[in-house]
Amino acid sequence: MNANIKNSDFGKRLKTMLKVDARRMFTMPTVWIMLGVSLALPILILVMTSFMGGTTVNPQTGVETTVETFTNVWQAIGSAGGNAMSMDLTSMCNINLLYFLVAIFVCLFVGEDFRSGYVKNLFTVRSKKLDYVLSKTIVLFVAATGMFVLYFIGAMIGGGIAGLSFDVAAVDATAGGIVACMISKVFFALVFVSIALTLATVGKAKLWLSILGSLAAGMLLFTMIPIMTPLDAGVFEVVLCVLGGPLFAAGLGALSAFLLGKTAIA
Amino acid sequence: MNAIEIRNLTKTFREKRAVDGLNMTVPQGAIYGFIGENGSGKSTTEKLICGLIQPSGGEIKLWGKDHKDQTVRSQIGVLIEAPGCFPNYTVWNNMKLQAANLGIKNEDEEIRRVLHLVRMDGAASNKFKNCSLGMKQRIGIAFALLGSPKLLVLDEPINGLDADGMRIMREILTDLSKRGTTVLISSHILGELEKIATHYGILRGGKMLREMAAEQLNADCPTYVALKTDDTEKARAILERAFGRADMDEPSGEIRVYHANAEEVAKYLYGNFGIAVSEIRTAKISLEEYYINLMQEGRK
Repeated sequence: MNANIKNSDFGKRLKTMLKVDARRMFTMPTVWIMLGVSLALPILILVMTSFMGGTTVNPQTGVETTVETFTNVWQAIGSAGGNAMSMDLTSMCNINLLYFLVAIFVCLFVGEDFRSGYVKNLFTVRSKKLDYVLSKTIVLFVAATGMFVLYFIGAMIGGGIAGLSFDVAAVDATAGGIVACMISKVFFALVFVSIALTLATVGKAKLWLSILGSLAAGMLLFTMIPIMTPLDAGVFEVVLCVLGGPLFAAGLGALSAFLLGKTAIA
Repeated sequence: MNAIEIRNLTKTFREKRAVDGLNMTVPQGAIYGFIGENGSGKSTTEKLICGLIQPSGGEIKLWGKDHKDQTVRSQIGVLIEAPGCFPNYTVWNNMKLQAANLGIKNEDEEIRRVLHLVRMDGAASNKFKNCSLGMKQRIGIAFALLGSPKLLVLDEPINGLDADGMRIMREILTDLSKRGTTVLISSHILGELEKIATHYGILRGGKMLREMAAEQLNADCPTYVALKTDDTEKARAILERAFGRADMDEPSGEIRVYHANAEEVAKYLYGNFGIAVSEIRTAKISLEEYYINLMQEGRK
């Protein structure tokens, strides 16, 4: 026999699964498209909205309308606690949009496993569904982290091009707060990753079902994001997201593994 | 030890019972031809064996262990319905993923080996979606062979294969069986199956209708003399009296005389009754005929 099949313990099994998922992810064009979009999106938003700002007057009624646009580059990352729930352009078109992109990517990545029939090969030789869910959660979290980092870099570039202020104090934040905010946002992504992953394991080859479900769940959670990850985040928010995100993912991961074990794979 | 032992297996999808108290034994090293009409439960049984769906009742043992046991699961190669490949990946990259899943150390060498076995060496750099149906089937078989599994579960693997592909498939499976690999293969192309199978399981309505070794099938499928005469009805009656059993084969218009010698039959008819035989040949009941008869008996 040329091959050497390992029947190993959990650590080795997970390592193998991670190797497969990482290899698959980074040979998949979609991941590079998603990363590219994450970098380009803030540049486009900041540069294009810089032409929209100001006050317009309706000549018939004489009513003045003021369009609030980005004045500070950090608004693309988030808003300080007091403005967390505002529904203006800067709150709606910031880094939080990425959560939807992450959810769609999760559905595409997992859905492709079922659409191609790859899961038949996988689950015939590997009976542990939890390995699959855990491995997927980890690699998708890594991809989500990459997307957030690229968005951050894109926001800096876009802000520079649009000539926005980089003054941290002007948005009631501090440099440490912004770092804490980014850490919180990245770990909060685990909530979206695990929800989308669970829905993708339920939807299986029905990609539209998992994407619609993930977007609906995202809409419900969208107003929570600024509260959990404000621009002036502190230790509390970081601890909440760094612990809460993985715990939430662990709970939903166990549910996903259970559902995979109880339903038909193919 | 038996490679597969199934006892009282049932699988119900809502109201429909796809597998109904199935009992099945596949000896180690057998090529087990799994036969049945569409919807008889073959694919469902194969998916149950591979753990892709969960049984509603009964038990499946692989080499004496529960089929969910990780140590036995890693010994299965599978091709069910279609190869599970990513369409936009090359054949090579698809195989690299499965090789990694299996924890194969020398991946490249192993992939080259199995691609060579199915004569698909040149297809490695092709995108899977650009491969023809026959190529995809061969690649699916190569997938199943990765890591030299002890059990191959193949669902309709010869569909879409050309004559050369079928010959290669026969050679591979026969060779694997000689080396101790067990093959569970379902197919509607019974003529091909008959050439390689060492055991058969015939399914109907989710139940095992008949399970037997190829020797038993041979015994149940006797050789016969098929002949044509100008006076078919008279000749048939004469031969039945003389040889015990003589049937009319309606579609061909032939008389079939069992357990007899062609020369002896021709001489008997002409010498004693002056009935000339226009055509005569010796043949054997094929698996296909046996299966069709069995199904017709069941319907009656």
